[in-house]
Amino acid sequence: MLDAFSRTVISADAKNAAIGSGELATLRNYVAEGNKRLDAVNAITSNASCIVSDAVTGMICENTGLIQAGGNCYPNRRMAACLRDGEIVLRYISYALLAGDPSVLDDRCLNGLKETYIALGVPLQSAARAVSIMKASSTAHINETNTSGTNPDETRFRKMETVQGDCSALVAEAASYFDRVASALA
Amino acid sequence: MKSVVTTVVTAADAAGRFPSQNDLEAVQGNIQRAAARLEAAEKLANGWEKVTREAGDACFKKYPYLKQQGEAGSTQTKVDKCYRDLGHYLRLINYCLVVGGTGPLDEWGIAGAREVYRTLNLPTSAYVEALTYTRDRACSPRDMSPQALNEFKSYLDYAINSLS
Repeated sequence: MLDAFSRTVISADAKNAAIGSGELATLRNYVAEGNKRLDAVNAITSNASCIVSDAVTGMICENTGLIQAGGNCYPNRRMAACLRDGEIVLRYISYALLAGDPSVLDDRCLNGLKETYIALGVPLQSAARAVSIMKASSTAHINETNTSGTNPDETRFRKMETVQGDCSALVAEAASYFDRVASALA
Repeated sequence: MKSVVTTVVTAADAAGRFPSQNDLEAVQGNIQRAAARLEAAEKLANGWEKVTREAGDACFKKYPYLKQQGEAGSTQTKVDKCYRDLGHYLRLINYCLVVGGTGPLDEWGIAGAREVYRTLNLPTSAYVEALTYTRDRACSPRDMSPQALNEFKSYLDYAINSLS
């Protein structure tokens, strides 16, 4: 497993060179944006169960066959497995976001995931759809652009109330990790 | 590779939980200290060749017998290899400063070094002398800020202890 720092070390070692000012600039950026990154990880972890259950619910709403007899989210045992997997994927994405490097996600989550799902008969398209909904809500939580949706009386709606700032780079990074999952399942 | 972030993530993964407040605090602490580390890494990278040269010179000055017939530095090729090795150690220390942990030194410098030096009949005391010279020569504020120097010296000490 690597993080942003050790990734730089691995590539410098391949060139047999010390790490100079050029590479250090990106790392200094990681350090300078460190608090934003921690807030972003916190935004995901603090809302994890909401993000996961929303994504699975959304996936089922679009494809109600999943919870009918014979569907892949029927009975409860398989629905529970689905929610659990959603949480696992989101957890590894939160690790990758914390480390600033996707290696932990690749090695420990995505490696062999597609083959496992095919063997178990899990529909890859539905799984990818749930991940893309998680992407939308996670990035909204990080960027604090989340809204209460169509129901004005929604009381569970929540904002993280961190200091406002430019989080576009982090949002793009987080989105790239979700896309990584989606392409691993494609 | 071992660093604060990967340690935190490994522990969280073993327990199957999301990164907790504690984990985030640990990373935050690491980030706060990072500025000094990165400064030291940059200064070392800038003066890398000169530092290597001075360290090697110091070692041959203290142990001139090394250049005698049948010793580790008897030919120019062997002497060059000594300087190259010192360069490797300093490069790995540069990596350690970047990562914020001893991972690079452990994996690429120390693991197996003792066995290799014994087989090739190389004196570790010469490396110790060279690195000790570097450690004692470095000073603040001429070379780097006090905190950066502290980080730099701690990795030099780590390498010295592993060879002693």
